[in-house]
Amino acid sequence: MAKLTLRIWILIIAIVLALLMISPNFSSGVIVTSIDINSTAYEQGLRQGMKIDEINSIKIFSREDYFNALSNIFKEEKEVKVEIISENQAIIFLAKDPPALAIGETPKSKIKTGLDLSGGARAVVRAENRSISDAEISDLVSITSERLNAFGLKDTTVKSAKDLDRNNYMVIEIAGATQKDISYLLESQGKFEAKIGNKTVFVGGQDKDVRDVCRNDASCAGVNSCSPVQEGFFCNFAFTVYLSQEAAERHAEITNEFPLDETGQYLTEKLILIIDDREVDSLLISSGLQGQATTQISIQGSGSGPSQEEAIKNARSQMKKLQTVLLTGSLPYKLEVVKLDAISPTLGKEFTKNIMFLGLFVFLGVSVAIFIRYRKIKVSLSVILTMFSEVFITLGLAALFKWNLDAPSIAGIIAGMGTGVNDQIIIIDEAILRKDSSSSESVKQRVKRALFIIFGAFLTIIAAMLPLFWAGAGLLKGFALTTIIGVSVGIFITRPAFADIIKKLEG
Amino acid sequence: MEHTEPKTKNWYDKYHKYIMVFPLLLFVICLIYLFNFNSQHGEVIYKDVSLTGGTIITIQGSFDSQNLESKLKEKFNDIRTRTITELTTSKNLAVIIESQEKPETLKAEIENILDIQLTQENSSIEFSGPSLGESFYKQLMTALIISFILMSLVIFLLFRSFVPSIAVIFAAFADIVMPLALLNYLGISLSAAGIAAFLMLIGYSVDTDILLTTRVIKKREGTVNQRIYSSFKTGIFMTVTALIAVLPAFFLITGLPDSFRQIFLILALGLFADIINTWLMNASMIKWYAESRRID
Repeated sequence: MAKLTLRIWILIIAIVLALLMISPNFSSGVIVTSIDINSTAYEQGLRQGMKIDEINSIKIFSREDYFNALSNIFKEEKEVKVEIISENQAIIFLAKDPPALAIGETPKSKIKTGLDLSGGARAVVRAENRSISDAEISDLVSITSERLNAFGLKDTTVKSAKDLDRNNYMVIEIAGATQKDISYLLESQGKFEAKIGNKTVFVGGQDKDVRDVCRNDASCAGVNSCSPVQEGFFCNFAFTVYLSQEAAERHAEITNEFPLDETGQYLTEKLILIIDDREVDSLLISSGLQGQATTQISIQGSGSGPSQEEAIKNARSQMKKLQTVLLTGSLPYKLEVVKLDAISPTLGKEFTKNIMFLGLFVFLGVSVAIFIRYRKIKVSLSVILTMFSEVFITLGLAALFKWNLDAPSIAGIIAGMGTGVNDQIIIIDEAILRKDSSSSESVKQRVKRALFIIFGAFLTIIAAMLPLFWAGAGLLKGFALTTIIGVSVGIFITRPAFADIIKKLEG
Repeated sequence: MEHTEPKTKNWYDKYHKYIMVFPLLLFVICLIYLFNFNSQHGEVIYKDVSLTGGTIITIQGSFDSQNLESKLKEKFNDIRTRTITELTTSKNLAVIIESQEKPETLKAEIENILDIQLTQENSSIEFSGPSLGESFYKQLMTALIISFILMSLVIFLLFRSFVPSIAVIFAAFADIVMPLALLNYLGISLSAAGIAAFLMLIGYSVDTDILLTTRVIKKREGTVNQRIYSSFKTGIFMTVTALIAVLPAFFLITGLPDSFRQIFLILALGLFADIINTWLMNASMIKWYAESRRID
């Protein structure tokens, strides 16, 4: 048994690491992709990311199974007992309607596919009639992600993108969301209002009524008390909002219009917090505040959960949402949706299947061609092995960095299979097959020349693909990335190992 | 063995300069066609709605797409439809409808004609605003030019001599011009992904030219003809494996996303053009150069 060289070890380690990154999963089933935290199922312990094995003794293997089971269980309009078996844990509750949760099929691996293959909605947004500065875009991205969370949409990515003209865009991707959802979200850009009765006391935004909002300062913001309740825990939070003088006077005026309730502690009307015309919370107004031109008000709220820890977590996230909208207010500019895609997951599934077939086919085709050309089992097998490793390591990196592989990215990988073997072909033709011909050149010279060609080709492909990182709001970045990573893996990992393998085989 | 110069010249020695006429002629025809196209359309390509702005609706399932198309055409004048069929069963997988209309308008009309509700389960809707499409197009074209310049710089750095570098760069340029003219001739409208494919083509098509040039000007064994021939054997096999990777998407597995197929179509056309431009054009030029410089 020949001793393995360092370069071969590096290849082996890279393959093992790639396998770990991809972590293929052969089990089938559905997992909870998002769950309403106010639902009974959540209270009973069902969480995002859990796998659903059974519902009322019906085994669940696919989305179809899940929906069939539910439609059977909730055939009639009455309360039924639901027993979900998830990871050897039984979650039992009574319900009239199907549980408020979204499900997805268990991922077959950690490789994520892009929107065009997995389905979902994507929007590319920019400001109407003006450009967004770098500072503004990062604010816009954080505000938007906060708000998407506030609206209960999970599995979202919000990122900024800059194009060659140095325009900033915001790209929002939501798995499973519809076009309607996403346009609703973008139309609602966080108009915050606090009302008593139907009179507006103040609106959000530092340019409007809010001077400042206390954040990350334990003396004026935080979760202050938790108490056990029937179904878990309940935590209160409070934070201070500093209002402008105008808003303070408006507060005095409006609170004077309403009487105290029977306990004498609070006003009959509550302070209602409204985001984009939707009530998000209501706060009791203590008698002490009545008629006061206060520039400081404390906003309180609560979060609950089955354990104290979760209750605190929920209370904190509630607080953060409110702080964000209060501080940011509505955006000073109107957004324009310049691209809006809603892709059906069903067609994407068909595409994914076909792409996998194609990948397999190309792999076999290239392998056969290599065999026909070289007619040497060992040499051909090592070329094929290198080709396979290259694809595999590229996919591993994609999984590691959580890239969403869209159709062009995968096209880059598959096209790369045909050109990835080029390095090997050059090494074989240049340095190995002709080594015994009556030559005036040393093997060293020939290897040097082979490397020159290989590096030359490597550099040109990098140079050619580089501009794609910026052109077109980065939507074709994936294509450039997989191509560049593919050739880089080829040149730095698989090619050196291949050269050593060939030496051993021929040696 | 004082004289290494062959006594009798073979056909390649005699005719290699004339061989260049064929690729040059083809190149000139394509270039003229493109200039003419550009003056007629104001653009150098047909743009699809991802570049002009508009809507693409993909409906799954089998429909009478002809009927749908003709009915839609009564309402809107820029409708294009295509069907995706599974080659083995020739079953219709989906219909793709493209128009510069707004998604709501187009969707409502399709729902009306087909009498179905378009949902996220049975259809995909992609919309690009006209301003974004326009800026995408401009930027991708800029990217294409930058890509070409960067590639040229790499080639100059590699060979550090003018004629061989220009020969490679010319081949790469012809590799873009020929497929582009053919695509226009066939009336295929390009998407953003399609233009991106041209960038990839710039990177990949010069592989064989680098191989050829390196072997001819840096190798010290064999005659120039032998070096060209050995490069041809290696290079053509490289092109064959690359073609094996891109061709099945047309003949075997066709139910693939449009962006995907367009990338492969352009790479395939580019690879065919590269065979002509490398082995009929670049090879002759480098032989000419080698002989004038007495490289042997």
